Amino acid sequence: MSVADLPRKEANVLKGHEGAVLAARFNSDGNYCLSCGKDRTIRLWNPHRGIHIKTYKSHGREVRDVHVTPDNSKLCSCGGDRQIFYWDVSTGRVIRKFRGHEGEVNAVKFNDYSSVVVSAGYDQSLRAWDCRSHSTEPIQIIDSFQDSVMSVCLTKTEIIGGSVDGIVRTFDIRIGREISDDLGQPVNCISMSNDGNCILASCLDSTLRLLDRSTGEQLQEYKGHTCKSYKLDCCLTNTDAHVTGGSEDGFVYFWDLVDASVVSSFRAHASVVTSVSYHPKDNCMITASVDGTIRTWKT
Amino acid sequence: MDSDEEDFVFYGTPIEREEEITSRKKKAVAEASGQLRTLPSWKQEVRDEEGRRRFHGAFTGGYSAGYYNTVGSKEGWAPQTFVSSRKNRAEVKQQSIFNFLDEDEKEDLEGQSLGTSFQFDTFGFTAAELARKQAEKEQQQRPSTIPGPVPDEILLPATESIGVKLLLKMGWRRGRSIKDSHANSLYDARREARKAFLAFSSDDAKAQLSEPEANTGDHENDVEQPASDDVHSSQNKHVDVLNPKQDLHGLGFDPYKHAPEFRDKKRSRMSENRDPGYRKARSMKNDLFGFKSGNVAPGFGIGALEELDDEDEDVYAPGYNFEEKYVQEIDEPSTLTIEDSKRKLLTKEQGVLPGFRLASNSDYQLERFDPPLVPKDFVPQHRFSGPLETDYKVADPGPPEVPSPEDNNLKLLIDGVAALVARCGKLFEDLSREKNQSNPLFSFLTGGNGHDYYSRKLWEARQKQADKTKHQLDGKLAPSMQKISAETRGKILGERPLERSSKDSSSSVVSSESIHLQYNLSDTFMKPTSFSELLEITKPFKDDNAKQERFERFLKEKYLGGLRSTHSGGTSNMSEAARARERLDFEAAADAIEKGKWAKEGKPPTNHITEYLATGGMQFTSGGLQQVQDTQAEEMIKKKIFPKREEYQWRPSPILCKRFDLTDPYMGKPPPAPRMRSKIDTLIFTPDSVKARDREETAKPSRDQRISEDAAEKEIEVEVEVENVERPVDLYKAIFSDDSDDEGDTSRLNNLEDPEKKVEAANTTLNRLMAGDFLESLGKELGLEVPPDVAYATNNASNPASHKEIVNANSGNAKPLSGSPKQDGVPDTQERAEVGVYKKNELIHSNSAKSSSKLADTGSLETKYDKVNSGKVLHEDGKVKTPLSQNRRLSSSSLSEDERSKKRSRRHQHRSVDSDSDSSSDDRGGYDSRSKGRRISREKSHSSKKHSKHHKRRSRDSHSRSHHRSEREHAEARRDKHKRRS
Repeated sequence: MSVADLPRKEANVLKGHEGAVLAARFNSDGNYCLSCGKDRTIRLWNPHRGIHIKTYKSHGREVRDVHVTPDNSKLCSCGGDRQIFYWDVSTGRVIRKFRGHEGEVNAVKFNDYSSVVVSAGYDQSLRAWDCRSHSTEPIQIIDSFQDSVMSVCLTKTEIIGGSVDGIVRTFDIRIGREISDDLGQPVNCISMSNDGNCILASCLDSTLRLLDRSTGEQLQEYKGHTCKSYKLDCCLTNTDAHVTGGSEDGFVYFWDLVDASVVSSFRAHASVVTSVSYHPKDNCMITASVDGTIRTWKT
Repeated sequence: MDSDEEDFVFYGTPIEREEEITSRKKKAVAEASGQLRTLPSWKQEVRDEEGRRRFHGAFTGGYSAGYYNTVGSKEGWAPQTFVSSRKNRAEVKQQSIFNFLDEDEKEDLEGQSLGTSFQFDTFGFTAAELARKQAEKEQQQRPSTIPGPVPDEILLPATESIGVKLLLKMGWRRGRSIKDSHANSLYDARREARKAFLAFSSDDAKAQLSEPEANTGDHENDVEQPASDDVHSSQNKHVDVLNPKQDLHGLGFDPYKHAPEFRDKKRSRMSENRDPGYRKARSMKNDLFGFKSGNVAPGFGIGALEELDDEDEDVYAPGYNFEEKYVQEIDEPSTLTIEDSKRKLLTKEQGVLPGFRLASNSDYQLERFDPPLVPKDFVPQHRFSGPLETDYKVADPGPPEVPSPEDNNLKLLIDGVAALVARCGKLFEDLSREKNQSNPLFSFLTGGNGHDYYSRKLWEARQKQADKTKHQLDGKLAPSMQKISAETRGKILGERPLERSSKDSSSSVVSSESIHLQYNLSDTFMKPTSFSELLEITKPFKDDNAKQERFERFLKEKYLGGLRSTHSGGTSNMSEAARARERLDFEAAADAIEKGKWAKEGKPPTNHITEYLATGGMQFTSGGLQQVQDTQAEEMIKKKIFPKREEYQWRPSPILCKRFDLTDPYMGKPPPAPRMRSKIDTLIFTPDSVKARDREETAKPSRDQRISEDAAEKEIEVEVEVENVERPVDLYKAIFSDDSDDEGDTSRLNNLEDPEKKVEAANTTLNRLMAGDFLESLGKELGLEVPPDVAYATNNASNPASHKEIVNANSGNAKPLSGSPKQDGVPDTQERAEVGVYKKNELIHSNSAKSSSKLADTGSLETKYDKVNSGKVLHEDGKVKTPLSQNRRLSSSSLSEDERSKKRSRRHQHRSVDSDSDSSSDDRGGYDSRSKGRRISREKSHSSKKHSKHHKRRSRDSHSRSHHRSEREHAEARRDKHKRRS
């Protein structure tokens, strides 16, 4: 993939959130996207046509993260009200609420089978919630973190959490081991490479770090952007050729995966770019910002 | 009622009731509204407007007459003609899976089933089978273009070919040869008759004819016989397969197209490899017949005849009937002409191409050379010229003697330089010349003042050097060669030196194994003696004579070579570890000296030594390069601190595994120890676990201990906070509430445990009381009399929290317990109580709780115990005294923490002891002596128990061990103090 193929042209601006947008995520096939923000709503969009489809309102405070199942039937969201909401996408109703976190919930993810929601909270814990049964108790509490857990990633067999204590912990369910990779810097956001071999961790020293999951080695550092106080997302492009992430000055950066050079950067928003999400197949990206807009970028 | 009805209905359907009908009507209406239409056709039922299914009568189709209750059929409206099954009844039809499948299933299957069409079988299956077998056989002998099994094996044709069919129609049966045996016999008979007739007809012709006739007849028989045999045995033999593609050429490519002569050679070689056994048998047969071999087998061509066997030699004798031979060759793909074969016949010698013949005498002669003559003075030993050029111009007469220059300094200098150059080679001279060009002192190098003297000196030095090396050569290798150690060689070869971080070598705790390794390695190396001269000057261990002596011995051993004796006499009084360490020091020093010599910088070598000693003797390997590498590595390590990977155990919950569709890695294993998040948990859990341990006396790594470890590891700050917050409540409960309240309290505390442990609850209450008492006494002690105990003072200073708590306890305690006489008058008991508490970290509480009743009964025994114990205690005190102070110094800080945690966990315990004693002893007056004795005895038993435990645990963890010991010592110290006072 050459630099010219990077999505740098603004295709659509999705306006509707009143206040900062905290997260924007493509669904699994990339046709729709979800966003959530300080206005306590979750919104469903078609980013390619720029249409607002649906609004989900039930959260009592800001919504910090949202995730949708691979079959697009269910949503989960979390936020400042310490709850995880389990939504039905089509009806827009809350199926279940999971309470138990002792603080704000920073991130939430479904597992592959959409049977478990794993949430990362300010209360230094990861909690796994069962979607199948009707119990509202967490089926697993992982509390080995020493500080607020900012981000969580799931694979088929592992739960990976990144925390402000600077450690990325991988919990392998299959072998019952916890592997902790100390990065030494508060970890803001972690995201998996598409091949599943690497973790990209956004640290609060304005650095993205790429870790080899099998060995724990640091493969590369990506610098140039500003990330000092906000929770900024980062991700790899669909081909794993580039690393992308937002910056607190409203820029979006693209780095080459291998040689860590800034391939491209452009001003995407007027304010902090809180979230980036890359299309699973195409060269398309959405960015969300504190300025209340979500923008779709294409080549 | 319904069930009754159903019971009586055996055949047919019961008469339906009115309500049911109406309900069905409703159902029919509902279904008519469209749901029914979505059903597949075979599920649809036809109903009338009443919602009933039409019944056609039991013998005319029941509910489903016709084709889905229509008069049509699957094919349409045309009715099928009636076909009687009477004749076909007995016909056995072959059943296949398709008879039982539905159409849609068949459709599905059709696409998937793999089969061969009958067109595939060109030869008929027998032939194919044969071919396959043969090919298989050949597969093992020749390289194939397609590796692996032959595809024929996989794709075996299913049906027989049209040819086989035709043959079958014509009366041929399987297993028979195509040639009719009757016809053959008929033919033979006819021929015999003709022969006879001919014999009769002319006698002349007989002479000519009989032999060839007989020949041919025999020959024909011979031909037929094996052939028919072959056919009979192996059924239809297919001829084409006799020439399978055996080479790796492309299809249709004939490498012998323009050189057909080579084909035969090739084929002969092939057949030679193929079946020598068969040929042998045949040749035997030929011998039997007394006939010429080779002609016999039609299928095997000429190749077989080109044998080098002796029997076949005569085949090519002149006069051989080559016509026949030609006929046989027809089935070969080659296009040989008669001329070819004729020519071939002429040259059927071995290894000769057709058209050529062997020369009678060869003009090629092997040329032989004489081996080179070895000169008589040759010594079969190679001497490598080392870089030192030791034997440089030894033989030349040298420059004339020159008087030494007047300047003594210059003379010395020249002498030194000459000696050096002689030893280190010309290179050194060049180097120093270059370096000191401007220096007037060194002008002798460039031909200035004193040059003649220098050259003379140099020559002399070289002579000397040469002599020396000669001496050395007698026994060993040249020194220059010896300098190549494993490391230098490794460096030359580009090997990476073993990782040897300076950290582990500098740390005093080098594992003895690694030392041994180093030791042994260095043992095996021997250094040249030349270094020893230099080393005489150096005395790196001047301050320690004995050490210096040892060092010198070490050097001598090191550089004089030879295997070292494993133990040197002077070091016998040293420990192994110390010796090893010293050894490393020596090595480092020696290396430094060596390097100093190599560097030749004029710097005194002792500088190096001191340098190296300053670095802690870590560089016991030679090579400054490596040191540099080490530092680089250290930098790298510093850089690579992050990311740092660690691994822990983690237990996923079973349901999580289930939801992730994974098997639980901990399936069937006991549940993990609950995580202690704070001190409160330990506080709650301790008594119970202690009890548990008491119940099963077998010493195990119980939870309690783990908890204590946990506790020790936890942060101090957190602990203090927790204490401050948590303690008052607990204390209040313990002190002010009466027993009934305590019951409730304990149940609350124990709510994580089994509810069945009601019996233990009472004990817990007792414990609580005891603990209170203990605190009281402790507080008293702290408040009233401050013992001159350093450690204890630090303890107090270090944690104000405990102090505070104690004060708290004190103030509270005064009320409910009538302990005032105790406090005032009997400091001994307080102390002892404390001792007891200190001692029993795990065991004591439960022990005391249980044994209390017993002890109360056996009051008389206690006095006895008292005596014995006091004696013992005295003994112990004597022993323990000295290590006590050390230990305290070592672990004062950790001790204080530990103690604190212990104290908290033990509060309950102690309380119970005291309350127990209260209840057991009636009169206050006799309390002192009695309780004292009892206490001690109890302590004794505990301590002994603990000793045993302690030993077991020693290996497991050092932390808890030190912890235990310190505690015990503390306790004993107190006892000691008490003794002294009393």
